[in-house]
Amino acid sequence: MPTELLQQAAADNHWAAIGPELMVGCLALLLLVLEIVLPKARHEIIPSVAVVGLLGIITGFVINYHTAFVGQTTFNGLLRHSGTGQFLRLFFLLAATGVSVLGIVALKRQKMPKVEFFAITLVVSGAMMLLAQANNFVMLFVALETVTVGFYILVSYTRTNPLSLEAGLKYLIMGALSSGILLFGIALLYGVAGNPALTAASADSMNFDALRVFLYANPDNIIAAVGIVLVLSGVAFKVGAVPFQIWIPDVYQGAPTPVTAFLAIASKAAGFAILLTLVTVFDGYQSLVVGVLTVMAIATILFGNLAALTQHNVKRLIGLSGVSHAGYLLVGVIAAIHVPFAVGAICFYLFAYLLGSLAVFGVMTHVSGDDDADQDMDHYADLAKTHPFLGVVLAVGLGSLAGIPPLAGFMGKLLVFLAAFEAGLYALLGVAILGVVISIYYYFGWIKAAFFPQWRPPVFEGDDPLPEPPRQVVSTPAGILLATAALASVLLGFYQGPLGAWLGLG
Amino acid sequence: MGVGLTEYLTVAAVVFAIGFVGVLVRKNTLVIYMCLELMLVASTIAFVAFSRFNGTMEGNVFVFFILTVAAAEVAVGLAIIVALFRRRQTVQVEELNALKN
Repeated sequence: MPTELLQQAAADNHWAAIGPELMVGCLALLLLVLEIVLPKARHEIIPSVAVVGLLGIITGFVINYHTAFVGQTTFNGLLRHSGTGQFLRLFFLLAATGVSVLGIVALKRQKMPKVEFFAITLVVSGAMMLLAQANNFVMLFVALETVTVGFYILVSYTRTNPLSLEAGLKYLIMGALSSGILLFGIALLYGVAGNPALTAASADSMNFDALRVFLYANPDNIIAAVGIVLVLSGVAFKVGAVPFQIWIPDVYQGAPTPVTAFLAIASKAAGFAILLTLVTVFDGYQSLVVGVLTVMAIATILFGNLAALTQHNVKRLIGLSGVSHAGYLLVGVIAAIHVPFAVGAICFYLFAYLLGSLAVFGVMTHVSGDDDADQDMDHYADLAKTHPFLGVVLAVGLGSLAGIPPLAGFMGKLLVFLAAFEAGLYALLGVAILGVVISIYYYFGWIKAAFFPQWRPPVFEGDDPLPEPPRQVVSTPAGILLATAALASVLLGFYQGPLGAWLGLG
Repeated sequence: MGVGLTEYLTVAAVVFAIGFVGVLVRKNTLVIYMCLELMLVASTIAFVAFSRFNGTMEGNVFVFFILTVAAAEVAVGLAIIVALFRRRQTVQVEELNALKN
């Protein structure tokens, strides 16, 4: 190959554009090196290195938030940097920080290797940050698989616990199945868009821009339509939309609590990052995409809320309520096709969801015992009396997830619903509001369990009362995280304009 | 007459369908895992065939990424299956149902 061609190709590789991802990757490697070079007695500082490193990267990222790369493509069209992409990168960094802090609390109780958890969390979040900026199917697939394989390991992390392993196996089968479906869809799209016999065929048909032009020029191609449906199905698995939600309750229950938080927050956001990109790429097949997503959104909202009503295990409950959140976000994605500000609304919703979820999962991490899968609502009895701090954080987090004004979750829902209203999606809007009303029942059931005294069966002499797991003492970093998440949930409910404008969300 | 794109794609679609149905109906985790690999192989056939008949190299390059990803997935997946077998002495999906409400 002539060297000029290589030079030309390399000229577009702006490594500074993916500086944060590189730093996250290097931090992950640094942790592994530290484990080798530090004496065993000093190993407990390694998780702190991860958190401090992440905070440093976040600070640097926020200072350079408005980079010159926004609006450009780099690496020969592999990546496209956009305002939404910048926001999502910050989102994934914040999620990784929160999950790492929760990981420190949760891993203290397990006799497990500790360093790998933080290293894998970092690698996964780096891959998600790339995923949010992918502009090519190769980039999208490799980043998505890095995320998925990382999650296989994280879900089955507690390998002494058969429940964690079972959850890992279920996630593995479902994740690999969805990857297979997605991949076949990519193969079809690549093939049909590169066919020289068709108009607007491209030699670079993995590229989203080229694919978009092709799909516009060929609006009735049956192979392309099949490819689009397969790709959307593969992504729907990742966000947990009905009918691809079957893995959610089991995997959420079996996974260690911080990993459940990571799945609920970051994995879902990554799925929606892909969806937002793909919806614009598939613009030429709008009626098909809207049809598929509308059916999914209605089924997802109804199923998630109705199935959550009967749950007593709080991890299953939060998983199924997460399914319904995916449904509301799908409504936002459909609205985003017609109304540009819906993208900003989705970002705000995700951010509110991040804060509320971190608060709730933080409390769950402190209340749960050694067996992570056994977290019943009854374990929350008298939480507000014995641990007022945890009780208040739980109430704020759950209230925000339920969408109670004036918390941030309410504003998120309001913005998404406004976008749906403006786009004229009245039927979807009705279903979504019905879903919100149902969801208040189970969210408040949980709050009630923590705040109000419950009837308990009398304990006779000689009988052992049902054992409850001992609650953890809140450490300073975890306390700061929980207080920040709860306070930000309250503040963002009142004050969001300038922050949104600064983030470029409009 | 030579073998054309349609024949390759038919093979790919059949292999994909076998893999997909296998994942849904088989009960042994290892067999399910083999079916998942079949689905990836089906995509590989489609990529190479399209690459050959469209005259672009990207499909071939993508296959290398698929191979790498599949290897990583197998490494993690088999580790999980072995660890689970040590705890539960079974890899049949209908017996792996400890997670419930």
